[in-house]
Amino acid sequence: MVLLLAVPMLASTAHADVVVIVSAKSHITSLTAEQTAKIFLGKASSFPDDSNALPIDQAEGSAIRDEFYSKVVHKNPSQLTAYWAKVIFTGDGRPPAILESNLNVRKAVAKNPNAIGYIDKSAVDKSVRVILAP
Amino acid sequence: MAIRHYLIVLLGIFACIANAEAAETDKPKVTFDGFGSLGVSHSSMKSGDYVLDSSIPKGPGLSEDLSFGNDSRIAVHLAADLTPKISAVLQVVSEYHTPNTYEPEVEWANVKYAFTPDLYIRLGRIALPTFMHSDTRDVGYTYVWIHPPLELYRQLPISHSDGVDGMYRVQIGESVNSIKVILYGENTLERENSTSNSKDMWGIFDTIEYGPTTAHIGYQERLASTENSQGVTGPWIRNSDLSLGVQYDPGDWFAISEWIRRESTTRISAMYISGGYRVKKFTPYLTYAQNSPGTFLSGFPPPTANSIRLANRAQSAVSLGVRWDFMKNADLKLQYDQVKLSDNSNGFLANVPTGVILYGAKFHVISAVVDFVF
Repeated sequence: MVLLLAVPMLASTAHADVVVIVSAKSHITSLTAEQTAKIFLGKASSFPDDSNALPIDQAEGSAIRDEFYSKVVHKNPSQLTAYWAKVIFTGDGRPPAILESNLNVRKAVAKNPNAIGYIDKSAVDKSVRVILAP
Repeated sequence: MAIRHYLIVLLGIFACIANAEAAETDKPKVTFDGFGSLGVSHSSMKSGDYVLDSSIPKGPGLSEDLSFGNDSRIAVHLAADLTPKISAVLQVVSEYHTPNTYEPEVEWANVKYAFTPDLYIRLGRIALPTFMHSDTRDVGYTYVWIHPPLELYRQLPISHSDGVDGMYRVQIGESVNSIKVILYGENTLERENSTSNSKDMWGIFDTIEYGPTTAHIGYQERLASTENSQGVTGPWIRNSDLSLGVQYDPGDWFAISEWIRRESTTRISAMYISGGYRVKKFTPYLTYAQNSPGTFLSGFPPPTANSIRLANRAQSAVSLGVRWDFMKNADLKLQYDQVKLSDNSNGFLANVPTGVILYGAKFHVISAVVDFVF
């Protein structure tokens, strides 16, 4: 019985849990998945309160990025590339800037009240606020 | 403005940026991207060429057993952010077209002023956004099929507009509404033995996105006339294109349908419906596409025999295919089209010898393409 209980716990800590964050200095307290998706796809350039939104991506091919886009945006990596190809080749914009690692994203988001990013739940600290846990 | 003027203006802009970067002043950003496709197709109908549209002089069937012309191209795209509000783009595409060449053509060449991220105006050349995939028709990587269904997409023979356009985008609740407007446009289309000129082009194209749903409604008008090889110009005729489209794409599967109605001296309509689902890296799909023959509108001189023949062109096709996203930034597609020509036309087959009647014929086309972006 003890072994059976232990196995599920090990499985869940090995799995990334992506959360969407803004700076603790930001006024945003929560966003829906749809509102978050619009910002990361460049379809909205501001938060619902009309303040500027600056999305920050993680590296292409990283597990955390794939999980974010799957759970929040419902696109796999090829679908996302096809989406941005449509935008880039019609001169309508560019994908968000990329920072490698949960730590770098958290630090950049903490510093900028307009920034929005996604990191692993375990990397959250008091400098940022979780606004969506998909 | 001739193409060379655009190139000079834009190359000048990019040269200024390069200079500024060298002088390490306030750095404008220049990005370089590109896309391409390498496609091959084969048709079982040997009495004519199965070409995508009238810009392609030869294709599979009569002229070639294995043809690369329909779905092969390479393009480069330069974009520059000159100031926070001013940007420029230049896109040059090399694909097979009349008379028998891959000579590069400028598809986009414009300068944009963004009042806000949701409102901009552009001056220069843009690819027309007439139907849902019109302005990225060349970028195979952006859609599942080998090419957008030709029964509908070839109904608009011109691909770009030189003039002024703008966009306004508004968020309404969780939906995004983008309205594109062409305020003025012109186009010159060189054909084998004639030139088609368009002027006074204007249009309004509304795209509403809400979650997995995208709806498109567009209306475009222009005055068009044809200049023959002797330099004689025909009358200016009003052309209009009304289009409606809807797409539902929740991620694991998709469905899309478009309908258009085009009027000039004739009224013609076309539609397609397509759907597919995703399994790992594969997306099998099915499409049905057809166009109706043109009916002549009143107020014009009686049609010539050739006009009647052109207006009668109609066909339908059922296509079955699969897209495989086999590696990052590239896909491989295989598609089988079963085509049926209408009861009183040779459909859109090109180069059919005079007098050969293929009415009601059924044939198939097999195509394969690799698309990539870089």
